[in-house]
Amino acid sequence: MTASSNSDVRPVGKLQRVQGGAHHRAEVGEDKPIHGLYQVGGQGDWSVVGRFLGMCCFRNWDHTGGLPQDGDLLQAEAQIVDVAEDLGELVCTGPQQPGTDAIWSCSFPLPQSTSALSSLGLVQWRGGSEGGNGVNCRGWGRLGTSRIAQVDFPPKELVSYSKETQTLLTTHPLEVEEEEEDEEMDVKPGLDSEPPDEDDAKETKDVLRELTEEERQQILHSAEFQSFFDCSIRVMERALAEDTDIYFDYSGRDLDVSGGSSLSFSRLFYDEHWSKHRVITCLDWSPQYPELLVASYNNNEDAPHEPDGVALVWNIKFKKATPEYIYHCQSPVVSVGFARFHPNLVVGGTYSGQIVLWDNRSHRRTPVQRTPLSAAAHTHPVYCVNVVGTQNANNLISVSTDGRMCSWSLDMLSQPQETMELVYNKSKPVAVTCMDFPTGDVNNYVVGSEEGTVYTASRHGSKAGICEMFDGHQGPVTGISCHSAVGPMDFSHLFITSSFDWTVKLWSTKHNRPLYSFEDNADYVYDAMWSPVHPAMFAAVDGMGRLDLWNLNNDTEVPTASVIVEGASALNRVRWSATGKEVSVGDSEGRVWVYDTGELSVAHSDDWARFARTLVEIRASHGDEEEEGPMELSS
Amino acid sequence: MTGTEENTTSYEGSFSVTEAESVVKESIDATIGGEDYNKEQVNKWTAAILERCLGDLCKLGKTYKYIVTCAVTQKTGAGLHAANSCYWDTTLDGSCTVKWENRTMYCIVSVFALSIA
Repeated sequence: MTASSNSDVRPVGKLQRVQGGAHHRAEVGEDKPIHGLYQVGGQGDWSVVGRFLGMCCFRNWDHTGGLPQDGDLLQAEAQIVDVAEDLGELVCTGPQQPGTDAIWSCSFPLPQSTSALSSLGLVQWRGGSEGGNGVNCRGWGRLGTSRIAQVDFPPKELVSYSKETQTLLTTHPLEVEEEEEDEEMDVKPGLDSEPPDEDDAKETKDVLRELTEEERQQILHSAEFQSFFDCSIRVMERALAEDTDIYFDYSGRDLDVSGGSSLSFSRLFYDEHWSKHRVITCLDWSPQYPELLVASYNNNEDAPHEPDGVALVWNIKFKKATPEYIYHCQSPVVSVGFARFHPNLVVGGTYSGQIVLWDNRSHRRTPVQRTPLSAAAHTHPVYCVNVVGTQNANNLISVSTDGRMCSWSLDMLSQPQETMELVYNKSKPVAVTCMDFPTGDVNNYVVGSEEGTVYTASRHGSKAGICEMFDGHQGPVTGISCHSAVGPMDFSHLFITSSFDWTVKLWSTKHNRPLYSFEDNADYVYDAMWSPVHPAMFAAVDGMGRLDLWNLNNDTEVPTASVIVEGASALNRVRWSATGKEVSVGDSEGRVWVYDTGELSVAHSDDWARFARTLVEIRASHGDEEEEGPMELSS
Repeated sequence: MTGTEENTTSYEGSFSVTEAESVVKESIDATIGGEDYNKEQVNKWTAAILERCLGDLCKLGKTYKYIVTCAVTQKTGAGLHAANSCYWDTTLDGSCTVKWENRTMYCIVSVFALSIA
């Protein structure tokens, strides 16, 4: 047994294990901590399960500080290396004042030891009082593994990127003028990035990625997207605008009865972008689809960068407030019409003398065909365009204000098929402002001029050109309309004209003076049109915003129905729909008003006979008032 | 630049981690403080660091055996990981590892102090 060489060491007593039993039994070579109570002192035999190697921590349970006395219990924590029988003596090697460190040692043989310290066979205790718990001893020479000290320098992250670029395949981008559509497309781009992932859920993760701005623009401008968008936007707008009335009572209890027999407002068509500040120059209903109405617009002086000429196709069947088709061109459109035998074409006559053709099969808003700006065609505004003929043999007739009439084939607008100068008496050309063909006639037509005279003319034949002159208006003739209602009697020789002289006059091609003059207006009368179904009805519009419906069977002095449009803007054009139930007017603010005529325009079978009588009366009364009766003309 | 603590309590005569740390840092700074990695000079630097560390540690006058290791690595983007552990008297012995770096190189110095008496 070896003892500590410290001079303060003196034996205290022997160490005896008194508790901590069999479960601490360990085998040779096994490290296991012993927890148990060891009694200090006493001379008795004591046995220990294992040999202490290294540190033993002893705590005195009953002691408040200072030396452990006989009978004190010390708690040990130790590791067992080998079985031993003799622990040895507990020695104190340090100062013994309470509150100071005291060193206790117990030496015992350690035949097998693995460390230099333990081979000395010393167990040293360090004491220190902790809050009255007694001596806290710590052993000296305990060997243990230290904590692992780790040093880490992480590798540098190399940011790598792919240097190759791949340009996406794009189709030829559409014209710049179509940027209009981009405003509406704000909602739509989301659709494109959604993949068809119904079948494979696994692929959703890498297909649903955010599209870059370039990719979005490419998709938006691709032809297939444009065509898809074009078609679906119409359907969507109609669906969104529809609101059918589920409370409708067919017994008519809820209906306003009085509304049936008067002129009632039905629709207003106005587009914020395309109609604003433009005057409506012409209206036309589609012969194939009675709900489609085309309106042509003048230029917008407030927006010089916008196209000068605009034509919008409106649909009265659906409640959506946006046009079906938007067309524009570079020159103000002064006349427009659906091509009667070509359902997809819209013909426009422009201020520059060009005639333009729009096609709703293409997605272009600009004309698909144009006539040339040459002396062979028109060089003055084309105020009248009309398609006449039959399905197989049809021509587009156009007349400009310099008196030139051209006949075109819609397949080839590069040059007119025939041209004719409308000259009266071989002296001066007629400045034509309006033109109309009687129903069924493809050869003879009537024109109104700026001087206030009306002429009949023929396209072919021995008397090709201006035939007769009809004098009567004191101002430029703004509108002319041939009688078109088909019934048991033929009134196709009748036509009406409207003029700046505040009147609408009724003429017959057989008389070169007006049959009757309607003088109810107090402003320029801008347009007049016979009803297509009622023989005695026509509509007229004037500059005070008034729409008049005249029924000559009722009264020839005043209109049967009259309404002033909201805002009282000057009305430029009036057009009956093909069924005669609606009448559309265009005003100087770019608004198209559609009115329902209701019961008024329903033609009864006796209306024709009544009208014939009316005519007789008119002629009779007219003949009384004037000194000269109308001259009978040979034609 | 961190060191690792072995004992939270230091007794008189035991190993003081903070003291060793400061000794080591000072010797590294003095040797390679403003230098860039230079393969010719690296050996001189490591030797200098070690000598200085050992000298300063021995001057502390404690009854310890010291083992000092020094590793200098060039910064090339590669990762460097090192660890050490000891089996000793956990009360009296101690070690301290100091990491040091500048723009171009890393330096790791480990000091192990083993109590003699």
